[in-house]
Amino acid sequence: MLELYHWEPNTYFLKPLIALEEKEVSFLSRWFDPTSFEQLEPGFPVDTESRLQLEREGPLLVHDGTRVSGSFFMLEYIAEAFPGTELYPGDAFRHYRARAWGQVLAAIGADVSILGCARHLRPLLEQQDRRRLQSQLGRIEPVERRAAWEALLDGRYDARALSAIAERLAFSLRRIEGTLTGSRWLAGPDYSVADIDAFALIAPLPALAPEVLNATATPRIVEFLARMRERPAVRRALAYTRSGRPQQAFVPGAEPSRWG
Amino acid sequence: MLTLYHWEPNANSGKPMLALAEKGVEYESRYLDLLNFDQHQPEYLRINPDGTIPALVHGDRVLTESTPMMEYIDEQFDGPALRPKDAASRWRMRWWMRFFDAYLAPSLSMIGWSVFVGPAVRQRDQKELAAAIERIPLPSRRVAWRKAVFNEFTADELEESRRRVMFGIDVLEAHLTAHPWIAGESYSLGDINGFNLGYALPLSQPQHCNDALTPRIMEWLRRIYERPAARQTWAKGRTQLASRIGMLERR
Repeated sequence: MLELYHWEPNTYFLKPLIALEEKEVSFLSRWFDPTSFEQLEPGFPVDTESRLQLEREGPLLVHDGTRVSGSFFMLEYIAEAFPGTELYPGDAFRHYRARAWGQVLAAIGADVSILGCARHLRPLLEQQDRRRLQSQLGRIEPVERRAAWEALLDGRYDARALSAIAERLAFSLRRIEGTLTGSRWLAGPDYSVADIDAFALIAPLPALAPEVLNATATPRIVEFLARMRERPAVRRALAYTRSGRPQQAFVPGAEPSRWG
Repeated sequence: MLTLYHWEPNANSGKPMLALAEKGVEYESRYLDLLNFDQHQPEYLRINPDGTIPALVHGDRVLTESTPMMEYIDEQFDGPALRPKDAASRWRMRWWMRFFDAYLAPSLSMIGWSVFVGPAVRQRDQKELAAAIERIPLPSRRVAWRKAVFNEFTADELEESRRRVMFGIDVLEAHLTAHPWIAGESYSLGDINGFNLGYALPLSQPQHCNDALTPRIMEWLRRIYERPAARQTWAKGRTQLASRIGMLERR
């Protein structure tokens, strides 16, 4: 039995949807709305790792009782556990490159999540009754996971902070652009988990931060995003949307480096 | 030809050192003194333009991310397997490596840099230090070094790091109560990763990590310390940082 607990097909939630569709594995879609805190309700599967949630809010894959959290490692799990399309092609060095991109993209994902939450989630939270919201946030453990939500309301992410994040993203995007200048895919000549990871995390950027991802500054990334959207598996994954605007669906993501 | 550029057997440098020792793979060792900014010198920047250590050079392949580097070592070379065979245990190994790398390591290193790295390099000429920091290629590493060298960590940042270290120790103790090793039933890269981060915890956090409060962590550290590969790796250490491992000797 394979169940995927997920929300709108965006960022962390989009990754396993694409991988499962690439593998053509049948699974039970367990939809939940993290902005209504349904992940905290009794009955939602939880264990040590999913409770700690290093990505703060994200999908959960349950495979014959094994709970798999952490979206990049979920991609690796899907690549290794199921037959079908090879998502980890090539030799040890290509595998290394895919994993090394996973590390770079984890930092990118943290920044994209903040930009997305500031633009789309913060206004939703600000409309809610503050006392009721505080009481819901108070149920979130551990404290870092709660703090990621509270940070959206405490004024920390002002225009200056968001501009610094966009600048940091521009640096990382230049690296992706450089790699895609010599190759269609990130980890080598073949499509891999690294491409799924990258697409899921940076696809919202042309709308969120057009100054850093656009046809002039990053033409290869723009082509890469279009190439990804042509894949039938990606189309099927994006079709899980209920809002019709998946790239506006944000909840807190991984924490940016505490070293500044 | 296999060459590893590394500092002390500690944290990121120690991960590939211990993994290579476990596999029984010979390599040319190039020691770089992190405190002397050797990793930002032009000759090393030709190997790794980011100026971070470690770096593994295997023929024309250059690897610079320490955790994926360990998976490469396990997959590329013969020797005992350092990753479990089943996908679920591999997932657990990788999840915990991320917990070590992204949660515990930044907090432990913030404390370590404030009490050890910062004071060690702060003695030098201030202008020379500022110039050395300006030469650091990665903006994020420049910020980190500036904070360490000029003691710019705030009291709140250090307090939060101490809180996370205590929380992380509790979480790890609970994990090792449920499983003998990080990935589950067998020794793996997860243990190599965790050991490099945590071997000195009983010394740096004696009030939180000790035989009475965290017996599972203590036993886990000693079991790894007793492996010939760990002995061999830590013997390559040149400073008091690496010699701290001696406290894991059973008495």
